[in-house]
Amino acid sequence: MSPRWGMVIDLDRCTGCQACVVACQAENNIPINTEAVYLQHRAIEWIRVERYWDGEYPNIKARYIPVPCMHCSEAPCEPVCPVYATYHTPEGINMQVYNRCIGTRYCAVNCHWHVRFFNFWEPKWPESLQNQLNPNVSVRSRGVMEKCTFCIQRINNAEQNARLDGGRPLRDGEVNTACAQACPTRAIVFGDLDDPESQVAQIANTTTRGYKVLAELGTNPSVLYLKKIDPEAPAHGGAESA
Amino acid sequence: PVLNPVDLVFGRDNWYATAAGECGLIVRVFEGRAKKVEGNPDFPTNLGASDARAQALVQEVYHPDRIAQPLRLSGARGSGEYQNASWEDVLTELGNDVNGARGATLVITPPLSGPMGQVVNEFVQAVDAEHVTYEPEDRIVLREAVRRVFGTDTLPTLDLANTNFLVSFSADFLHTWISPVQFSRQYGEFRQGREDVRGTYWHVSSRMDGSAANADRWLPITPGTEGLVALAMAQVMVSEGLVDRAVAEQVYSGISLDQYAPDAVAETAGISAEQITELARRFAEGQPSVAIAGSLAAAHTNGLFNLTAVFALNYLVGSVGQEGGIILNPPPPFESDVPGPSSGLPYSDWSGVVNDLNSGRYQLVIVYGVDPVYGLPEALGLREALANAGKVVALSSFLDDTTLQADLILPVHTTLESWGLIAPDPGPGFQAVALQQPVVNPFVDSRAAGDILIEAATAAGASLPWPTYEDAVRAAVDSLRQLNRGNIDAPDAKQYFVMAQAQGGWWDTSETAESAPDAPETPTPAAQPEYAGDPGQFPLYLLPFPSNSLGYGETANLPWLQALPDPMTSAVWSSWVELNPTTADRLGVDTGDVVRLVTPRGSAEVPVYVNPAAHPDVAAVPMGQGHTDFGRYAKGRGINPLDLVEPATESETGALAWAGTRVRVETTGRKVRLPRFEGQVPAFQLEGAPIIEVIPSEH
Repeated sequence: MSPRWGMVIDLDRCTGCQACVVACQAENNIPINTEAVYLQHRAIEWIRVERYWDGEYPNIKARYIPVPCMHCSEAPCEPVCPVYATYHTPEGINMQVYNRCIGTRYCAVNCHWHVRFFNFWEPKWPESLQNQLNPNVSVRSRGVMEKCTFCIQRINNAEQNARLDGGRPLRDGEVNTACAQACPTRAIVFGDLDDPESQVAQIANTTTRGYKVLAELGTNPSVLYLKKIDPEAPAHGGAESA
Repeated sequence: PVLNPVDLVFGRDNWYATAAGECGLIVRVFEGRAKKVEGNPDFPTNLGASDARAQALVQEVYHPDRIAQPLRLSGARGSGEYQNASWEDVLTELGNDVNGARGATLVITPPLSGPMGQVVNEFVQAVDAEHVTYEPEDRIVLREAVRRVFGTDTLPTLDLANTNFLVSFSADFLHTWISPVQFSRQYGEFRQGREDVRGTYWHVSSRMDGSAANADRWLPITPGTEGLVALAMAQVMVSEGLVDRAVAEQVYSGISLDQYAPDAVAETAGISAEQITELARRFAEGQPSVAIAGSLAAAHTNGLFNLTAVFALNYLVGSVGQEGGIILNPPPPFESDVPGPSSGLPYSDWSGVVNDLNSGRYQLVIVYGVDPVYGLPEALGLREALANAGKVVALSSFLDDTTLQADLILPVHTTLESWGLIAPDPGPGFQAVALQQPVVNPFVDSRAAGDILIEAATAAGASLPWPTYEDAVRAAVDSLRQLNRGNIDAPDAKQYFVMAQAQGGWWDTSETAESAPDAPETPTPAAQPEYAGDPGQFPLYLLPFPSNSLGYGETANLPWLQALPDPMTSAVWSSWVELNPTTADRLGVDTGDVVRLVTPRGSAEVPVYVNPAAHPDVAAVPMGQGHTDFGRYAKGRGINPLDLVEPATESETGALAWAGTRVRVETTGRKVRLPRFEGQVPAFQLEGAPIIEVIPSEH
């Protein structure tokens, strides 16, 4: 039985440190977000940490939420691609096929989470920094869409090894995404949601704090958040933009 | 769709354990290139976790502006004009210089423990040099506070996984304070690692930092009043009988607690007496509870009092050396000639160094591993003083502000190319050392700093005990083997070293600190913070603060860290000043308006960020930017707030009180776009379906 990859993000553990953000950029050959890129509002962060204000000084809180691609089972980005560049794998991952993509950007428009990023420019690194690039991940060229892949190269690698190892099933923990691996508070847990023994499934199946962001849209995300606990949460409705 | 076979990549991965700072690391190396840094799951301080700074170490190796060969000054000092030189020539030259400058050589490094510290000590002795160390000044105050309150030279760790109530006084322990990965790992367990308890965390500070943002309650206080609030807490606990009065009198000997009732300090501290009382009750009743202090609390003229008063609270609730409390660290397992943790030189002593430099006392200055010209305030005049040294030699990978003053630059290996044996400070509560090994060959024609010193000493006719620095590391590992304890079991020295390399270090979980004292050994008198600048002319407090990703500026050259949004403002690639909305309104400025910060020491222009969590009396400016060079990603970016700081010192330690200056904010009429993450994607809490859902408790 093929796995169904998913993620749990515990907002009560997350501290907003953004180790996940840099770990993802290092693993996935994300172009450097220069000052100019930020001023153009075109920063690429496959996982980002949003900050929301809640309340007013002095009773004010800053709250953090890491946002990767939700890998929706009913992903609104998928049916709108005219060239089938946006595709759902049998293992539940929402993938982007770079060499099919013609850059209509319709998928990005249709994504409610804004986790798809268009390459407006050819990505550039100074020559020496190219030595760091991950050989298992394509560098995306100008004109194509890119997004979180749940570190598909790590999954492929592990599955390949398991096949060579007599075709055994993957063990829980054998694959981890770069963000989850770096996370110092262990707020992010990744694994097979269909394996009842996996850590991610056990959290997802037993938690009383689970919720999905924009669940009412019915897209069935594969990322489950665990609610932030705040014993003295101020009344809601006052939170401002991230 | 057609499923492609798994992409074929020629080559294979190798994974090597090494270390940086307080963390054990595993680095993925592919075809001789370092690709990705992960935490070492076995190393006891971080247990597999890492942070943004560790991740960015690969960019240090392959940085396009890394110094690739020895350089000799060809223009005026400070001009940045250099020509290439050969290693043979520069090492001979350095040997001659060292020989000719006996008794007149100054060596500047960070406080070094382990074999590197040993090499520097031996070098300094062999060539009759003087040695001074630089580290961020609040760290000096912290070390003295730990010595006074807990009687140890090593910094303590925490056992947050078993703590019920944590209060931090200005210590940004999740992001910048001493060992953020270690504390973050524990914090996850503190919040959600236990079935029945979710730890409660309050934060008392004059600026909401990335840690305070995660607190259950934040108490914004007037800058520098951390110690006062701690005494008021003690007063409440004693007067309400929550703790033993005799213990409190012993802990705060010389201080009459009755003078510090909440009513008496509330106005000064800027919070209500009720808030202090509630904090005290929670702290006393929520045992095991912990109180920590650092960062800004240490950077005032009364920094030592602030820290000692807070750390002493732990004695009142019996959490020193106890489960869920402050865990003291034993000294590192090194032999007596290998140095352990030590303090940097306090600011007051740097004035003496500068005077000596100006008097022409030093013919040769060797700088390694630190950038004091950047890290010490402009007011000290270190840059100008270096011009009076006969010759300045920098052992450095980058053209930072200090290296820019050098006559000779010798490029050194970066972290991932170096040998080393590091005793993390703070350690995990028992003896542990991380073995740092080169995971890749040097990317440029650099040398190990230790080797340069050994060769220079040899060329000067002195001899050090080892032919290379690697031998010093191996000797230190072999002395660990002779302890006959710890995690490694191997038949011979060679096998032992290989095992240490593979595991990433040595540790002995049973070798913990000796029992903790009952009370601070030396009392510290209560003190009020003092500020440079008349409040009428300079109405706000200038609070520089360490940046989440750039720290005190040491990682400002790395693009991933420049591009990483600040946790409060989400600003990137720049400097800014945080102002409360009411303060900004009064000045008539908004986010992006450029203002002039004027202190008695000088002025600088920066854009405003209107921060709804900023204290109304505070103008907070991040540290880390304002480098003269330091490579293309740092050069000419933002300001260094230390240039605005009046050089007041902490009253007992002489460390720089970098938060002890007042400031006036003047408008300039100019506006810029502040680069920041905010606004990159439309993100807002939705009515009825919030992005972040918050509940009062688990059940």
